[in-house]
Amino acid sequence: MLDYMIYILAFAVGSILGLVYSYKQHGEPFVADSDFNMPAAAISIIGWCLAFNSGNVILSAIGFLLGGFIMGERPGYGRKETAVGLILAILLYILLKVTV
Amino acid sequence: MNLMADILINVIIAFLAGSLLLGLHRKVMARVQKRPGPPIVQHLIHSLKFFFKETAIPKTVSKVFYIGIVFILALIWVVGVIVGPVAHDSLLILFGVYAVYKIVEHNAGSSSGSPYGKLSCVRAVLSAATELPLFAAIVFVYLITGSMNIGEIISYQSVHGPLIFSIPLAALMFFMLIITKSPYSPFAITKDKALISGFETEHFGFLRGFMLFSESIAWYVLLWVFLTIFFGPLDAVGYLIGMIVISFITGFINATTPILSPNHSVMTQITIGAICFFGSVLMIFTGVVA
Repeated sequence: MLDYMIYILAFAVGSILGLVYSYKQHGEPFVADSDFNMPAAAISIIGWCLAFNSGNVILSAIGFLLGGFIMGERPGYGRKETAVGLILAILLYILLKVTV
Repeated sequence: MNLMADILINVIIAFLAGSLLLGLHRKVMARVQKRPGPPIVQHLIHSLKFFFKETAIPKTVSKVFYIGIVFILALIWVVGVIVGPVAHDSLLILFGVYAVYKIVEHNAGSSSGSPYGKLSCVRAVLSAATELPLFAAIVFVYLITGSMNIGEIISYQSVHGPLIFSIPLAALMFFMLIITKSPYSPFAITKDKALISGFETEHFGFLRGFMLFSESIAWYVLLWVFLTIFFGPLDAVGYLIGMIVISFITGFINATTPILSPNHSVMTQITIGAICFFGSVLMIFTGVVA
């Protein structure tokens, strides 16, 4: 259970950091349709792929931290990036399951 | 692993997972109502924030009770974690935890000295109707599996398949309890917004922090027990998906239904409970359930 605690802690800390960072970046009122942010998408893809597919507690925890960082951004931001990251990570997981 | 370490790890997981799930629940409700909603992590931040806020104690409270009840609330849900995810012990103890929770709700309201708290305390007695279907659901689980022990129920399901397929109406009764305990539920008569925050109204600062801490653990334990006793042996991913799906469903239900008046709430719960009870009895005696 210790590994799950580390994952969920990493995700929660990442989300809080993401929220704080995002409010520093975007002080404007709620934006319903934000632009797609490429660096954020890259972090999200790396994060979720590491989280689901690394097979190592520390790397997975770093992955959850990065994934949580983008997912935890203020409402309206980080949604599309999280969706892309999650879809790619799940596809990679299925591919690895099928091929290995 | 050391038992104390196991308990601590499970309590931390229960608190974090419960908070995030309640945050998700709020987000789903907001999206259904076409609002952006708070971030998912907001419930967790909210809970932590209260531990650092100033704690004021109103003059009208019954002090020892007013403070003590909050720790009892936190303690009973820690017991819930120990009985469920840690020890896989008896369902009857969990039923006892719910019974004590009802008393805590009642006493938190009555010790506050506030009229809102007192009205909520009276409603806590009425809402004991929620616990009857829970007890009935536990009885059916016992009738089918021959055991109250969660570990043995899991073993039974690994051989005979998940109980949701053999006693679906009992699962529905349990699910009604989940809806009742979810935030902004149509059955949450003790936390009706007409009573401000019900029995929690007069608890401030770290006392409210403990209440929110307990709320998160309670949500996790409730979902864990439901998934464990009706969906068979699950791995971590199964629990995660199950808990997210149930939080989504309750979020949808709560976002689209208004809170019922106390009598309607109790009658609805008892009616659904009675239909499911007699339906389950019928299924067992007519041989639908093997």
